[in-house]
Parts: sequence; structure tokens; C-alpha cells
Amino acid sequence: MFKKVELQQGVTLYIRKSDQFKTVNFSVKWKSTLDEKKAAARTVLANVLQDSNGKYQTETEFRNKLDELYGTVLYMDVAKRGDTHIVSLNAECVNDEYLAEGGVLDEVISLMQSVIFEPNLVDGQFDEAIVNREKRSVKERIRSVYDDKARYAQKRMLELLRPDSPVSTSTYGKEEDIEALTSEALLATYENMLREDEIDIYIVGDIDEDVMVEKVKSLFAFNGRTVHARPTVRQTVTEQPVEVRHVMEKQEMKQGKLHLGFSTPIAFDHPDYMKMQVANGIFGGFAHSKLFMNVREKESMAYYASSSYSSHYGLLYVTAGIDAELEEKAVSLINAQLLALQQGDITDLELEQTKALLANGIKSAFDSARGQIEVFDQYKELDEHFTADTLIFGWEAVTKKDVQAMASEIMLEIVYLLSGRESK
Amino acid sequence: MKKIHFENLQETLYNEKLSNGLDVYILPKRGFSKTFVTFTTKYGSIDRTFIPRGQTEEVTVPDGIAHFLEHKLFEKEDGDVFQKFSVNGAAANAYTSFTRTAYLFSATDKLYDNTEILLDFVQEPYFTKKTVEKEKGIIAQEITMYDDQPDWRLYFGTIENMFHEHPVKIDIAGTVETIQDITAEHLYECYGTFYHPSNMVLFVVGAVDPKEMMAFIKKNQDSKTFEEPADIIRSFPSEVNTIAISKRTLAMDITKPKVNIGMKCNKTDVEGEEMLIQELSSGLVLDILFGRTSPFYTAAYNEGLIDESFSYDFTLEQGFGFAMVGSDTDQPEKLDIAIRKTMHDASESWPITDVELDRRRKKKIGQFMRSLNSPDFIANQFTRFAFNGMNLFDVVPTLEKLTVENLKDAFQTFSDESSHTVFTVHPAEKVQ
Repeated sequence: MFKKVELQQGVTLYIRKSDQFKTVNFSVKWKSTLDEKKAAARTVLANVLQDSNGKYQTETEFRNKLDELYGTVLYMDVAKRGDTHIVSLNAECVNDEYLAEGGVLDEVISLMQSVIFEPNLVDGQFDEAIVNREKRSVKERIRSVYDDKARYAQKRMLELLRPDSPVSTSTYGKEEDIEALTSEALLATYENMLREDEIDIYIVGDIDEDVMVEKVKSLFAFNGRTVHARPTVRQTVTEQPVEVRHVMEKQEMKQGKLHLGFSTPIAFDHPDYMKMQVANGIFGGFAHSKLFMNVREKESMAYYASSSYSSHYGLLYVTAGIDAELEEKAVSLINAQLLALQQGDITDLELEQTKALLANGIKSAFDSARGQIEVFDQYKELDEHFTADTLIFGWEAVTKKDVQAMASEIMLEIVYLLSGRESK
Repeated sequence: MKKIHFENLQETLYNEKLSNGLDVYILPKRGFSKTFVTFTTKYGSIDRTFIPRGQTEEVTVPDGIAHFLEHKLFEKEDGDVFQKFSVNGAAANAYTSFTRTAYLFSATDKLYDNTEILLDFVQEPYFTKKTVEKEKGIIAQEITMYDDQPDWRLYFGTIENMFHEHPVKIDIAGTVETIQDITAEHLYECYGTFYHPSNMVLFVVGAVDPKEMMAFIKKNQDSKTFEEPADIIRSFPSEVNTIAISKRTLAMDITKPKVNIGMKCNKTDVEGEEMLIQELSSGLVLDILFGRTSPFYTAAYNEGLIDESFSYDFTLEQGFGFAMVGSDTDQPEKLDIAIRKTMHDASESWPITDVELDRRRKKKIGQFMRSLNSPDFIANQFTRFAFNGMNLFDVVPTLEKLTVENLKDAFQTFSDESSHTVFTVHPAEKVQ
């Protein structure tokens, strides 16, 4: 779906001409091995780089320029996937065709070049005031997870389930590592990222491919680099059946946030990966799933009760918002749904519904430029020629026996409840 | 079927009002594989006092009923409607706002089957004592979930501060107590009054053939019988321009205080072009006074008075409206003062020039063009606009002709200090 152009060793452009959208989307991704200390520095760096640059030295000047370019969106963000930490520079501008004046696209590319290659340095260093301000912002972003009860419960469950592992490593790093950052360290992080990270550049829109390739080649003049292979997935397989841990934590709150952690040897790079996606869908992925139909509709115990498959870490989660007093009942109901799958209690209808909704999901994701970029960026690690049909055909072939076999590969490891309930 | 072409947007909209009163809009989008369909009634949480269809006496129904009805339409004698959508690969959903209840699906396959399911399930109510009672546990958990969300409490607390009587101050889902009073009879009464096709809009956007789709919808509607359209008599208490409560706080288990300033709008008896101008102008005023390029934002962010959670927003519907500006902050009083001072200074000495307006106008035009990539945005927003007598596709031409005077007029609808209030959520003391 994307045309691939290798610009330099380790620097690849993926470009897609499409008249589906009224805008042109860009994403430049720097990928490196996930490391908590580095994650802290890269997160602050992303904030500092999107604030200002050598051409527009204050945020006000820079944002004014973007507004004049018909509200061009330009921001940086960080993410993690498996063992990889990703810093992205994303931009989206309206296609010149729809505007009273032309030239917006060219200006946006040149702005991106400034963001990447002309940082706002004073005497060869990042401005201390900006660095300190953005350190504060990132620390507050990390701290604010506590205030979002569902996110906090998920974070705690993962920390308990897999301490010191990529799945529980914060994408933004730790507060103390952020606190310790200096301008010098940030500059070193910047130089290192530009020189050594694997770089993928994405462009989607109604553009002239050849012209764009030439522009990117000349303006985004990255050096070649040797990219060290990073494992696509990071899982900790528990060999012996472990005893299920029960952890209850208390906050002043009304609802009980129930988060269950399961492990599975079937991860993203496993040949049975697509079978596991179907099994998760029937278990709790959709509104027709066993969890939704039984925990919510039949027992009226929850507004939400669902499962999600974290394939890059070989984990599966079930989350439900319940009356904390009913925890034991909820857990046994959830276990009963998994047991039903393991015993082959799967209808043709459930299988058919799940396949249809998985197909709808991937096709719908491709109806946005950002969806195309993010989905492709993930799946190209498995298959350079990936399309939506790769998955759809894969799901089509899944049988009830497969689902049953997958369910038997899911093992409960932890039950975590965050609530106002006093622990006994 | 009317065909309206918007040359500057390269979009063509098809529209027909059917004989039963249903307003149908279809917007084909090239290159898309999904189709998004919304079926929306002009009925939301604020419509709680009205004369039921066929009666003469006004009634007031329990709080949270529009939302409860939305949940219950999905359950039929033969089971859950989600099941049917799932078989056809459609992701279905619904939501209730202050003024609307929308039912929707998106699908990349079996468009007609799914459209038929949508039309039929919304138009064939099935409420029994048993199914109504069963739903109370689910909705109680939904309400409890929102109760634990500090940002939702902050938003609603601010609205409660602003309004004396208007039902916008009542939580959309009601409370765990009020939903206990809801019966199947109530649901039929509300359904009968507000779900007539003449009070509804159907919007189809994405991979669709407009002629075939219109014929399909017509055939479906012609096969059903509806009563004659009738005017809906709603009643709202009168509301003064000043706020009800000037300051309130709430303690929750959080780490950093949250502050929200509410500014109540004094001009809400508007619709059509006038409303569009006021709404767009108010949004631009907030952008200029509080946006990322404003002196307020720059100073407050540098000082650490606001953080990445900072946001501002303007809401306008017939009968109520407000601006909100807020952020997580360690210095709630100082932020409160800074926001009010920004408003005060703008009243004393108007800071917005033509140059400033032009820049933000461009930004808004770009933002709008970007959102046209999203079928979900188009369907939901178009319907909201239509219920207020506005056309979504007039946004760009209206933005193009806005003047500084328009912005000044809009500013004055929420600038008076007697219409400003503050709500704070602060960290509860830990009981050891």
C-alpha cells in the first residue's frame, strides 16, 4: 500500500498517493531500544523540539506561523511498542487545492526541516528555561495518571504483573530521571537520536510522488546508519502454572476497577497470532462477546466489561467497572467465560460476528491517513507487503477448534482491584 | 431529491424530506471503504417537561430518562440489537447529549442490511418491566464510573454553578436514585412524543450510492405507518443571566487541583445564520484570548500556572450556552484571577485586530477542512447544525465574512463578570 524508498541505510520513506483526503499527512519516526532513562530524555526532547526552533524562536512565533498555514497541525509525541521506543514528528496540512492561496505544502515541509535540523539553541545548548518548563510538564503528565482511575489501575496491575519489564516501563520515563536531566544531556540525546535511530518517514495525501521523494531526499538529509535489530515482541513466558495473585488497593472512589492480567505464549510474531485475535474477540473484544453478554447484559453487573490482547507483550487483559463488593462474583463470571472457550463452547454465530467486526475494524482504520500510517508501521515488521486483506484472509481461516486451542493458551496470573473498599 | 454541490469543498450533498417528515441526508465520499450512518432525534436530557403526544397536561419525567431510553432501544423481544449488527460486520453505538439522542453504526460491508437494522430497531420500541429493571444495574455502574472521573465532575460542577433552573444542570444520565423511578410506561411516553420521524434526521456518509440509498430508505419508511406529525410542546423554566453559585469546591482522590471557570452566555435565543456567526465568533474570541499564541497562555504556561491539561471550549444550544476555561494547577486562586483578568482587560481595552482575526480565521478554516476527512465528524456535526437551523457546509463561507465587530458582539454575550463562576476539584486529605 505504501511505496518504499530507501533514502539511506536505516532511513526509509514510505509514501502513498491518495485523493481520499483533503489534507496531506506526515510522520517522521525515530525508533530505538526501549530504556527507561532514555525514554525520559526523549520525551522531554520531543516537547522541547515542538516548542520552537532556530527559525521561530518562541512558541508564539512558531504557532502563529502554523495558524497562518491554515491551521497546520504539527506536534511531536512518544510511544512504545514491544521493545521499541518511538519519537514521532507528525504534521498535517490542508491540500493546496482547497485553499485560496498555494504554497502551504512546501512551507510545511520546510518547517519540519527546521524542527528536525535547526533546534532552538543558545550558545550551542537548549535554552535552560524551556528545558525546565518542559521537564515540569512531562513530570506532571506522568503524575496525572493517578487521577484517571482506570489508567492508574491498569498501570498498577502491569507493574505488579511484570515489574522491570518493557510492558510496565513508562513511555515517558520516570520522574526522577526527568528531574536529573540537563540541557547538555538533552543535546546528546538529540544528536544521538538523529544520528543513530532507525528512521521511518511516512507521507499520505494527494501529492506528486516523484516530486515529493526528491524534496524529502534533499531537505531531510539524514546520514546512513547501521540499525541494530530489536526484538518485535517482549514477553515473559511463565513456564510453571503460577498461583494467581490477588491484589487489592484503595483510593477514595465509588466504583471498583477490576483489572485481570493473563499471559499467553502466542505473541505478535507467532504463527497463531491471528487465531488469538479471534479468540480475544469472542472472549471480550466486542458487544456480542461472552464478557459483554454475560457480565453486563445477563448479570447487569457492569457498564463495561471487555478484554484486550496486548500482542507485543504476550499478555491479555480483562477490565470491568463493578461494585467492589461483588469482586469475587465478577472474577468467577470472567473465569467461567474463559473456561467456556477452553471447553469449546463457541457458536458459529460468535465466530462469524467476530470475524466480520475484525474485518470492519481494520478496513475502517484505513479510512484515516493516520490509521494507514500507524497500522502499516506496526505490521510491516511481519510483512513488507502487508494489506488489510492479509489479516482478513487470516481471520477467515480460523475455526472453532483454533479458538478453543488459543483459549487454552491463556493463563490468569493476577487479579487487581482498585476501589474504595477496605481490604480484609 | 435535492442535490447541493459545494464547489470549494468538492462535496455533493443529497437531501430529501420524506412524506412522514424524516429528513434524510446523503454525502458520498470518494476513496472511503466505510459508511457511517446516524439516526438522531432532537431529544436530549434537557427535554424533561413536555406535553406527551395526544395529551393536554404537561408532565415532568424522572432525570436521566432520555439516556435510559437510548440504552433500552437496543433490547428487543428476540435479544440484543448489537448481535444483529455484529453479524453484518457493523460497529454500532449510541449517545445522549443535552439536546440529542443519536444511534449510529459504521460498516464496510452489507450497508443496506445494516441500515435496515438501524431504522427498524429505532422505530420498533420494546420496553417491559423486566427489561427496564435489568438495565438499572448497568446504568448505575455507568453513573458511578462518571462519578469517579474528576474531569467530568469538574465540567458538571461548573454547569451546576452557572444555572439556577435550566435542566442543562442535571446530569445527562441522572443519578442512581432518579433512575430507580423510571418505568416502561415513561419510556413509551417519551418515545411516542420525541421519536416521530418528523423530529429526526438520518445522515449517511461514506461509501454510498445516493440514489439507491435514498430509494432504499424510502421503501423502508413507506412500509411503516406513523401518526401525523405534531408540534412538540416542551417547557423550560425561565433562567436569569447571572450565575447561580459563584464558587464551589469538591474533594476527590487526586494529586493536583483542577480549576474551571464557567462563563454563562446571555444570548441563547438564536438559530440559523445568527447562531452560526455567534458560535464561530465566540470560538475565535476564546482562541485569541486563551489559545497557545495568546499572551495569557504564554505567561501562564511559563509560570507553571497551567499545564498540558489546559483547555477552553464554547457550547451554544437554543436556551443555554457557556464558555469554559480551565486547567490542572497547583495555584487555583492565581489561575482563577488570571483568567478573569484576561476577560476583564479585554472588556476594558479590546485587543482583537483585523490581522489577529485573519490569522485565526485561517486556522479555523484549516481545522474545518481537516475534520471533513472524518465521516463521523460530518454526520454528528451536520445533524447538530440541522437541529439548530444551520448548515455545516456554511462554516467556511461564514468564517470568511466574519468581522472584528462580530467577535466583539460575541464576546459581550459572556464577558459580564456577574456571569462568571469557578469550580475547583482539590485533592482530598488522606485519612491514614
